[in-house]
Amino acid sequence: MVDFLDELEANVPALRRYARALTRNIDRADDLVQDCLERAISRRGLFRSSGPVRPWLFTILTNLHRNALRTERRHGPTVDMDTLPELGTPAPQPAHMALNEIARAIDTLPLDQKEALLLVTLEGTPYAEAADILQIPLGTLMSRLGRARAALRQLTGATHEPHLRTVK
Amino acid sequence: MSEIDRDSLMAYLDNQLGPDDRAEMERRLAADPEAATEAALMQRQADAIRTLYGPAANEPVPSRLSPHRMALAAQRRRWQDMARAAMIIAVLGIGMAVGWLLRPWADNPALYNRLIADAVSAHTVFVAEGRHAVEVAGEETDHLSSWLSNRLETPLAMPDLATAGFSFLGGRLLPAPAIPGGRAAQLMYEDADGERVTLYITPKTGVNGPSLELVRLGGDNALYWANATITCTIVGPQPPAQLQALADTVFAQLTPSSAPGSDYRPI
Repeated sequence: MVDFLDELEANVPALRRYARALTRNIDRADDLVQDCLERAISRRGLFRSSGPVRPWLFTILTNLHRNALRTERRHGPTVDMDTLPELGTPAPQPAHMALNEIARAIDTLPLDQKEALLLVTLEGTPYAEAADILQIPLGTLMSRLGRARAALRQLTGATHEPHLRTVK
Repeated sequence: MSEIDRDSLMAYLDNQLGPDDRAEMERRLAADPEAATEAALMQRQADAIRTLYGPAANEPVPSRLSPHRMALAAQRRRWQDMARAAMIIAVLGIGMAVGWLLRPWADNPALYNRLIADAVSAHTVFVAEGRHAVEVAGEETDHLSSWLSNRLETPLAMPDLATAGFSFLGGRLLPAPAIPGGRAAQLMYEDADGERVTLYITPKTGVNGPSLELVRLGGDNALYWANATITCTIVGPQPPAQLQALADTVFAQLTPSSAPGSDYRPI
């Protein structure tokens, strides 16, 4: 039991990072992580039989986030005052602009591409594990990653035709 | 057209290759400027994502996200649910015992018997409370004394049971359902082991009955007595002899105006 809780604790920073990138809102991200941990604690009996804790936690978090988005779509989105652009704010500095641009571009990605991209680039998850977390075949993961990267390239203005072969 | 396919390049950038494949890919990239440009672009994307969100993992974790704390809280909730269930069973049990006690007077049980039943019910409900066991804490003895005396329209002093090993937790005002429009005062005491004793006090007005009565209800004993001005039921898990001793101390202090022994005689 204590080992299990220690294992959960070791994963909290990564879960917070992934949730933060998914929601871009510190409170909603931490709420997701809290829900995820509570679910894990109350269902540890179910978990015992299957593999390592980390992918299981990321699967729970991903599903909670999808559910939250579905609920939000039904009830209309909550707008965080902090994220509303202020009127009359001077143009951001170029160095920041590139990051803001990327952040906005990620937001416009379809959710399944966004999840794949964040798991791999931000969390450094091995492909097989990421596919396991998202419960999709490896090939589907690769194609989502490829599409996410191509979309980012276009959205951030680095537009040139993809030169690389896509192996089906 | 580059000879390097997209998935291999991604696998290289995402650190998914073993050392041999990695070295091989680096050799091929060195000879393929087009793919190298592509790789650099993807690398910048990944760097930007890590710059944006990476720091979130280094922030201090708020305590609400501590799994140990959450597991403890969940366990405490389970205990509270169990305690509540046990409490309901205890109250039901006492209700049945009270019913049995009042059986001879089923139509119109004697008033003093209803007072005892009310005293035991109030005892059961409030001794189980942690933070809200009393309404006014025992430190405010003077305030409690004047407040409860006014409400019960009877001069009351707060008995000090320190010599018997009990500290005064405080008291509360309660309805006395047995008396129409009646009020009762409940005082609570606790010994070093956490065992609690309550006194349930009402004015004497209109109460006829024996001056002393001992009843056992559930796990608790209730000792009722009356003098010229008040009735008092002392309830607790202690054996009758110990309650009796407490009652002697209480009686001497509770109504200072009544001379000890005038109405009250030990069993």
